[in-house]
Amino acid sequence: MTETRIHFQEELSQLEDHALGGLELVVTALERALESVRHQDVELASMVIADDDRIDGRYLEVHQGILSLLALQAPVAGDLRVVAALLHVIKHVERMGDQCVNMAKLVPLDGHQPPAEQSLLDLIQRMGEQAGQQVVQCGQAFARRDVEMAQDLVRQDDLIDELNREVFRRALELGDDVDRREWAMHMMLVGRCIERIGDNAVDIGEQTAFVVTGLFREFEDASHPAVAPPTF
Amino acid sequence: MPHSQAAPETTMDDTPPVEISQHKVAEQARSDGKRDDRKIVREAKTVQAEAVNLYYGDFHAVQDVSMKIEPNKVTALIGSSGCGKTTFLRSINRMHELTPGAWVKGAVTIDSEDIYAEAIDPVAVRRVVGMVFQAPNPFPTMSVAQNVIAGVTLNNRKMSKTERQEVVERSLRGAHLWEEVKDRLDKPGAGLSGGQQQRLCIARAIAVEPEILLMDEPCSALDPLATLAIEDLIAELKSRYTIVIVTHNMQQAARASDVTAFFNLEGPGKPGQLVEMASTDTIFTAPKEKATEDYVSGRFG
Repeated sequence: MTETRIHFQEELSQLEDHALGGLELVVTALERALESVRHQDVELASMVIADDDRIDGRYLEVHQGILSLLALQAPVAGDLRVVAALLHVIKHVERMGDQCVNMAKLVPLDGHQPPAEQSLLDLIQRMGEQAGQQVVQCGQAFARRDVEMAQDLVRQDDLIDELNREVFRRALELGDDVDRREWAMHMMLVGRCIERIGDNAVDIGEQTAFVVTGLFREFEDASHPAVAPPTF
Repeated sequence: MPHSQAAPETTMDDTPPVEISQHKVAEQARSDGKRDDRKIVREAKTVQAEAVNLYYGDFHAVQDVSMKIEPNKVTALIGSSGCGKTTFLRSINRMHELTPGAWVKGAVTIDSEDIYAEAIDPVAVRRVVGMVFQAPNPFPTMSVAQNVIAGVTLNNRKMSKTERQEVVERSLRGAHLWEEVKDRLDKPGAGLSGGQQQRLCIARAIAVEPEILLMDEPCSALDPLATLAIEDLIAELKSRYTIVIVTHNMQQAARASDVTAFFNLEGPGKPGQLVEMASTDTIFTAPKEKATEDYVSGRFG
């Protein structure tokens, strides 16, 4: 048998690389956003905001590429599942980029020397590193079509959720000083942004399972937390 | 299910061949000189193939195909050239055996009646199971109207002028052609466009009131618009018939069918086999077999 549709396969493969490459942009944006929060670096925060145009641009490019492939190549079966999944993946990439922007936008609100509390900043840092690891892992799982690795994201995400609850507790304990309370509330919002990035990574993991199995199932159903996770 | 050998078209004994299903009643009524004016309640039929093997002499063309073809659904048979899908299609109305040396092993039943049973008349089978061919093939010397009733008159059925007009109009309306040709029913059928000619052939097929319609690449000779018109027609016809369509156009199978069966052969000279049969949605989004996936994705030629 001769292999056919080589051009289409190359196009699809490039489109996937381009979409998953968006995750690398997210990792960079996340690292910078975390650093800007940690060091109250307003300039770095503004760079994160400006650079989000690159992630938005990537979204538009992949989106257009998907439309063209659908219109011109009419992919079916496994190829169709990849294309449909990439549409979700790139949307999550764009949302993760937006969360980094949300984090960066909070930085200038606290001035140059906010009444920061190191233990809370450490928690945020740990959350951010955990989220960054998940962003990398969801991309690897998708590229390798590794459902097990994708499902492991749920376990990873539980760590973020636990850290987020800890951030909340610590923030409540920071006392009555108005500036300090405001800063602590901003940290809670930062924690919320990171927690959402973790969720987006899990969502991309679910797309991996969809590509491999043809079935879409949420790894964890937030509205029915008692229900056992799906088996693939 | 016992395997049966195809009965030859002419039997040596004196037992008359048995007509199948409701046509038996209609034939009987006609032979009594009474008009069968009961309203025909149309019921599409279920076709069941059990371990069907098809041969051209020594050549084993199709191996062990078992499938159930549901009524009021469009079933598409897809697969590369030479995989036996057309041969299998032709076994459903006993046209396969018309090729010299061709023979059948296995059973094909229509609503539980074995169409290869010795007592069954192949002509009666073909009356119940209509066929539309790849290239539009209206009879060139006949008018549009004569083409439509050709099948009916070839079955030696005598019709009054009014009845004939009724059949022509009903069939042409059924084939979505009436409005386009009602003013030129006496003109040659060959003068119509390709798409119109194919719809004329569909009108001819449904004029004999079959329950099952077989279509062998009915759109392969048509332009895209005529193709879409035929696909619309197929979607409408399935409410009254069981439809089986062979197509090389996978997008057509995706658009026009409810169920898709993928045929493949292991290699040149090997018999064609049924690889996978499932809802068209499943075949084109998440097929189970890798061979199906590769074929529908166009990954291997």
